[in-house]
Amino acid sequence: MNPPPRAVGPWRFVLRPSNFGFRPSFGLRISAFGFPLVVLLLTVACIWPGSVSASSAEALFQTGVTAYRASDYALAAEAFGQSIALQPASGALQNLGNAEWQRHRTGAAILAWEQALWLDPFNQSARQSLRYARKNAQLEAPDLAWYEVISTWLPVSWWAWIAGVSLWLSVGVVLLPGILRRRKATWHQAIAAVGLMVFLLSVPAHIGVETRSRIGFVMQKDTPLRLTPTLEAQAVTRLAAGEPARKVRVRGNYLLIRNGRVLGWVEQDQFGLTCPKRGKDSAQTVKVAIAR
Amino acid sequence: MKPRPSHPNFSFSAFQLFSICPWEGTLFCFAAVLLASALSLHAQVAAPPPQDPLITLMASQPRIAIPAVTKCTAAFDPPVVRPGEQAFLRVALNALEESVKWPTNLTGPSQLEIRPGAHEQMMHYTGTNMEPRTAFNYRVRASSLGLFTVPEFEVKVDGKPVKVPSAQLEVMPEPPASVTPAALLTLGLPVTNLFVGQAVQARVVLPAGLGQGLMQLQLSGQGLLTDQGTIRQHIEMVLRDGVNAPSFIYEMTFTPMLAGKLTVFAQGFTIMRRNPVPVVPNVPPVPPVQPQFTLVESDPFEVNVRPLPREGELPGFTGAIGSLAVGPPKLTTNVLHVGDPVRLTVNVMNRGDGPLARLVNPPPPQAPDWQVFVANDFAAPQPLAPQQIVVPQRPGVPAQVGTVEGVVTFNYTLIPLTESARATPPIPFSYFDPKTVRYVDITIPSVPVTVKPGAVPGDLATLMQTNPAVMESEKELVLSGLAGSRGRTASSLVPPQQQAWFPLVQLAPAVVFFGLWRWDRRRRYLEAHPEILLRRRARRALHRQWRILRRAGRAADASRYAAAGVDAMRVACAPHYPAEPRALVGGDVLPLLPESERAGRAGEVVRRFFAVTDAVRFDTTPPSAKELLSLQPELERVLQQLEQKL
Repeated sequence: MNPPPRAVGPWRFVLRPSNFGFRPSFGLRISAFGFPLVVLLLTVACIWPGSVSASSAEALFQTGVTAYRASDYALAAEAFGQSIALQPASGALQNLGNAEWQRHRTGAAILAWEQALWLDPFNQSARQSLRYARKNAQLEAPDLAWYEVISTWLPVSWWAWIAGVSLWLSVGVVLLPGILRRRKATWHQAIAAVGLMVFLLSVPAHIGVETRSRIGFVMQKDTPLRLTPTLEAQAVTRLAAGEPARKVRVRGNYLLIRNGRVLGWVEQDQFGLTCPKRGKDSAQTVKVAIAR
Repeated sequence: MKPRPSHPNFSFSAFQLFSICPWEGTLFCFAAVLLASALSLHAQVAAPPPQDPLITLMASQPRIAIPAVTKCTAAFDPPVVRPGEQAFLRVALNALEESVKWPTNLTGPSQLEIRPGAHEQMMHYTGTNMEPRTAFNYRVRASSLGLFTVPEFEVKVDGKPVKVPSAQLEVMPEPPASVTPAALLTLGLPVTNLFVGQAVQARVVLPAGLGQGLMQLQLSGQGLLTDQGTIRQHIEMVLRDGVNAPSFIYEMTFTPMLAGKLTVFAQGFTIMRRNPVPVVPNVPPVPPVQPQFTLVESDPFEVNVRPLPREGELPGFTGAIGSLAVGPPKLTTNVLHVGDPVRLTVNVMNRGDGPLARLVNPPPPQAPDWQVFVANDFAAPQPLAPQQIVVPQRPGVPAQVGTVEGVVTFNYTLIPLTESARATPPIPFSYFDPKTVRYVDITIPSVPVTVKPGAVPGDLATLMQTNPAVMESEKELVLSGLAGSRGRTASSLVPPQQQAWFPLVQLAPAVVFFGLWRWDRRRRYLEAHPEILLRRRARRALHRQWRILRRAGRAADASRYAAAGVDAMRVACAPHYPAEPRALVGGDVLPLLPESERAGRAGEVVRRFFAVTDAVRFDTTPPSAKELLSLQPELERVLQQLEQKL
């Protein structure tokens, strides 16, 4: 009688490149350290550009701090802007807001502080500066729905990972005991329930992040809100620098925005979004703010 | 429609009189008297109401007359200078400054260095009207000798072109003695290193020989706040060119509001005392000309302004800079009732050299037993005039008499909320001392009081307690400082869920879990059907033995060839029983061959291979297996038949 076939568990796949059908070759016979070498090289290739840009961003940040302390706010704003273009950071955005405020550029300052809070809602200094600026300039904060308020409790990137991890954790806890031939325990079900609950609770926050990403701020003072997306259009009203509005849609060089109950078109350069849709736009927004 | 009589009462009376009285003459006279009386009475009733005095005052003011023809003058002051000496090009127009579109740059000969100076507008009285006068000054220095002309140019006044005449400057090594130097104010500052918000008293000197006092004196420059209410004027003897000469002295306070190097200069209008009208005998005197106001200015003065240090800032700092002392706080009464307001007055005295600028009350403290309000919160308290005052010191220290440069009074209204209050709350107050470059605490001390029950309800404290959330939001907001580090970083402002890679990352666990599920299903299937795995292994083993067999055949290694052939047949037949391949014999292989082949050549080959290998293994004189090498084609066919069965 032949012995029964040996069960092959999933642990045999762990850290065995051959299990993935993956055998790297460098034209030489692969030794035992071939796979770790590939992993090491890939890791270095991934981290190296990031570390270089991080060090440059840090140097620019320190330049900005020095210039700000020497009351050279234009240079400080430029340095902070370049640092943010390399790698957005909450502290750099906060300092950019301060520098722009000192240059009497209310719109750019408020946008920078809002972006600082977008990245890090725990940044109390940026929150305080924002309240101070709004009180001084007599501006209102954006009117947020309840799910948008929830989305401000944590950094926007956290919600994505919380939802992903909680969903797949619950799926994994449901599936893996059966695959691993373990008895389903109570704690498995508890973890699955908690994971599912966290995922469902994070859904409104996701919607809030999505809708908040359309909020922007008027960059220039007395920006005309046009009736049509044309240069000769009649101005419905004029918006103060730093006033919040929501982007509705884009047409050519114009954005349709809703400010309170008023709907109108503004030029794209006159409106800065808290969350530019592309990383390139993010740098562009910063550059526009600096150029102004 | 009948015309309406203009004076119905009078008409009625006259008619009646004429109709009822027979003596016409007498009556007519009487009627005339009555008519006169009636008319006078009517005139009194219809007298216009007296005009509003304010309207009357306004109407009595001379009106502002803007000349229809704009006149413009341009001249150098002085017209003759030495090389390198400064002269002023003074341009004046009888127009409003707002209506003049002045060019940004003034072109002239290359030997002249022309820099813009002061510009200002004033209204001067012409006898009947007020007429505007706008002046533009330029500072001019010539680098070489010669006669230089700033050419005529055109400006727009109310949209109409107006020609500014040319002006000539002669540069000589030694100007004539009759040429007086340019009228120049002298600006003096006691300190040039200041802090933002530190008030400083500027001193502007106008020699009496140059002008008759200054009008519209001001300090010009970016980032300055000049307090026009603090201007003081007096005349004193000032040493000038070795001679004590009477001079107009103006003192005024200004406050730098921006950090950095600031340039400040003084400017004002004066009536020049130059070029007196010569008196010539036997010639009728020339009527005095209208006095012409000239805009004079000082040389620019540079001050270095530093921001206030953030380190060491004390509670109650409201921007006070200098050297201050707080007098004893005074209450209107020390015996209070719950709910009754009481006024607290405290004097803040200036002990420093600089002027005392307007001070802002320190914010009222949040005390549990008191409600405190600033009593004069509509305007910053202004300093009083200097006075001799006794500055009280701390208990136990003798009082000192000193000169105080100004006193500011703070007023607070305090309401005791409970009877347990024994003293007024201390009010934190501090100032920044620019000499020691540090903040100094001069908290307004407590005053002992006795609080008695009042007529108000006992839970007044509860009623008047401010909501903590509101208190929190009402805290004074300030611009936060710089972040010391870059803080939380991100690769982009776009959140991961809006990035293109995020769905792919989320797909990875799904793929992994799907793969695991598929693998588990397959494993369970194979467990239910183990023969599939056995046949697959057998097929793999057969191929392996087949390769060994062919290699041995090529090498003519008969014994190995025979062993490989037998092993290949065994592993190919093992799954069909199932059995361990080594336990199989030739009789086990034959039933797996087709019926026709068992007794034929294929059967013969199987038997031969097993017989020879058995003999090789077990006989004492093993036979040669070389004959089996010739049977390779037949063996290959047998193995193919066996493989097809797997």
